[in-house]
Amino acid sequence: MPQDLTRDLHDLLERGRDRQLRLAVTGLSRAGKTAFLTSLVDQLRHAGLEARLDLLSAAREQRLLGAQRVSQQDLGVPRFPYDQAMQSLAGEPPQWPSPTRGISELRLKIRYRRASASWWRGSTAELTLDLFDYPGEWLLDLPLLEHDFIGWSRSQCEANGPQRQALFADWQNAVSELAPDSEVDEAQLAELAERYAEGLRGAREAGFSDLQPGRFLLPGDLSGAPVLQFFPLPGLAQWSAEALAALPEESLYATLKRRFSYYQQHIVRPFYRDHFRRFDRQIVLIDVLGALNAGPERFEDLSRALSRLMQSFDYGQRSLLSRLFTPRIDRLAIAATKADHVTPEQHTRLVALLEALLEEPLKDLRYANVPVKALSLASVRATEVREVTQQGRSMPALRGTDLAGESVLTFPGEVPNRLPDAEFWARQGFDFTGFRPLPREPGPLPHIRMDAALDWLIGDKLT
Amino acid sequence: MNDAPRHNPEDPRPGMRFTTDTPLRDADPQPAHHFSGEVSSRALTPTETTEPTTRADPAAALGRPRKRRWGLLGVMAGTMALGAAELVSGLPTSLTGGDWLSAGWQLLGLGVIGLGGLAILRELWRLRRLGRHHRLREALAELPECSPQQAMALARRLKTQLELHDDHPHWQAFLEARQPHHDGNDLAPLLAHHLLGPRDREARRLISRMNGETAIMVAVSPLTLVDMGLVAWRHLAMIDRLCRLYGLELGYAARVRLLRDVFRQMAFAGATELASDAGMQMLSMDLAGRLSTRAAQGLGVGLLGARLGLRTQQLTRPLTFADAERPRLNDLRRELWQQLRRIDDKGASPRE
Repeated sequence: MPQDLTRDLHDLLERGRDRQLRLAVTGLSRAGKTAFLTSLVDQLRHAGLEARLDLLSAAREQRLLGAQRVSQQDLGVPRFPYDQAMQSLAGEPPQWPSPTRGISELRLKIRYRRASASWWRGSTAELTLDLFDYPGEWLLDLPLLEHDFIGWSRSQCEANGPQRQALFADWQNAVSELAPDSEVDEAQLAELAERYAEGLRGAREAGFSDLQPGRFLLPGDLSGAPVLQFFPLPGLAQWSAEALAALPEESLYATLKRRFSYYQQHIVRPFYRDHFRRFDRQIVLIDVLGALNAGPERFEDLSRALSRLMQSFDYGQRSLLSRLFTPRIDRLAIAATKADHVTPEQHTRLVALLEALLEEPLKDLRYANVPVKALSLASVRATEVREVTQQGRSMPALRGTDLAGESVLTFPGEVPNRLPDAEFWARQGFDFTGFRPLPREPGPLPHIRMDAALDWLIGDKLT
Repeated sequence: MNDAPRHNPEDPRPGMRFTTDTPLRDADPQPAHHFSGEVSSRALTPTETTEPTTRADPAAALGRPRKRRWGLLGVMAGTMALGAAELVSGLPTSLTGGDWLSAGWQLLGLGVIGLGGLAILRELWRLRRLGRHHRLREALAELPECSPQQAMALARRLKTQLELHDDHPHWQAFLEARQPHHDGNDLAPLLAHHLLGPRDREARRLISRMNGETAIMVAVSPLTLVDMGLVAWRHLAMIDRLCRLYGLELGYAARVRLLRDVFRQMAFAGATELASDAGMQMLSMDLAGRLSTRAAQGLGVGLLGARLGLRTQQLTRPLTFADAERPRLNDLRRELWQQLRRIDDKGASPRE
């Protein structure tokens, strides 16, 4: 279509002039992606007038004029439900935006005054920011592309902690009776897959993160299709690769393998190709406090899931050519979300813990010479910092409304610098309270360090 | 022989075992603490007591060890005290004896001693201010590691040092931008923008204007000796004004100390920068030399003054410049050059 062609050409031109950025907001489910995107759009829309974005240098120098939502590139993808999210935040009582169930896109046009105007270009300029939202569950499918069925089965069935194994016990018992060469009918396969999916759902409820395949948790329109009826096969280690390859088409192993590769090719790869390839900047959102609440096994699970996940992105320095044809992420922020759930003096520790959690990917990024910034942020601040004097000692405290609707004043506890040992969880553990958003006031959403994140992610393009 | 094993001092020490009754672990993170509904709370305010401990500055060890001239001070204090005692004890006899002349001399002497004492006290006071300024600079160098409360305490110290009152628009703008969760890392750009930004711009204007004038004066003045005095005087005045901008009032001794620091910086610390500056200076003087020798001289003096000014600014600005925002000699050179060119054009055109 000619219209598409002009649009593509226009985008190519904009990319060449470096006036277009695609921001990857990466995070597992419940990490706060939707809240982050909502807040980001809200802050930028208010940036010209009343938003407090003092850590964003362009806003501090009052050069940021504001932003508008414009029609997005891909008309086949729904628009990011910004208005709905704002409505639920402004509701009575205020609520967090509902979890994302599908993919949505958003394009923002940011207008700003240049730091130094010159005669050959105007004093104002525009930067196009492409954002998109997706269910965090689906994200974990990306590492799946690098596996074949045998490797995937091994990685899923081994290296699991006792708690996680207990959740899958039901499926494990059923599947251990089957040999890879046995013939299985559809109904039995469907039942086994359903048990596996149940295990995954249970694991998600229990706070685990490394859950593959993601569509089992959130099937979308694929519910009940045979492509979602497979599972990893334990005990493949006793078989040699040739013996497995020689198994007939109707055998259990061959059926599962066929479905696995179909899942890879027809579900994960298009998702990756259409949405995850062309990024310039990335922010990884992680709910560190939630992982601390859940316990050591889940904390390590999260760490493993994230390090696998981050291998699916391209990192490296950018040049004009790479910008046009093979975009790469040349700058990255890792953020511990929900920083408003702890008192401000704990933020440094929160960041230290975040860096400990992402130790492996950070090493790789350092090697690739990609600048990374770790920070703690709260997209929508839900608490207010207070100070309480008790027994002659003054200590910081938070005031807010918890999820049950009760007003609380609390010191939520200290955050450790690094992961404590398992004994500590048995002894004391963590219990960070969840808060619901503050009642909505006119003006932009209150936030913590959204401006610092924005400065790091797009600040260098706003000059 | 007794049974107890005897240790030869040259033997290697035997192994030793420690009991592991007490587990060697760090203190656990503090648990959550919920307050009941009646507890009153207030907005989180910074406490003045929690300031970061200052660490030893490695660069300080490079400088000459500081000598305190206790002997000289003792002699001066002794002379003043004894002189005052002598004059006071002599005063009643000369008054009762009606020896008005010696009484007059004695009173005059006392007045001189009083004035001298006052001057010394003022010098000491200003030296102390310089010391306080240095300590503040050292504390601010640690700002990125500070917790929110420590950082805010430091910001307040900076405010007092800059002599801003509570309603000063710059301070108010800073307070408005500051959030309770901002730690040292976040506050540094805010302080630089709201409190120091206006002063930086003023300092830059000052350096550029004063050195432009000095350059022109040298270019048009016919007497070399007068030039030298003029240049020295104007440079000192520039340093004084720069210091006042950053909340520092210089006495004689404080000025000497600061000048020594500035010259040491120029001579040793920024040797690479000096080399590149000097290269640029040669180039621009060569350019200026094509116009006239006098213009080249003026430009040389102007550039020297600008370098002096920039160094002073770097030494007195409470927060050190980030790399990107550091003022460069290059920008100042262009302005100087334009000012001089204007003069030269004006001077040249009537002759032709």
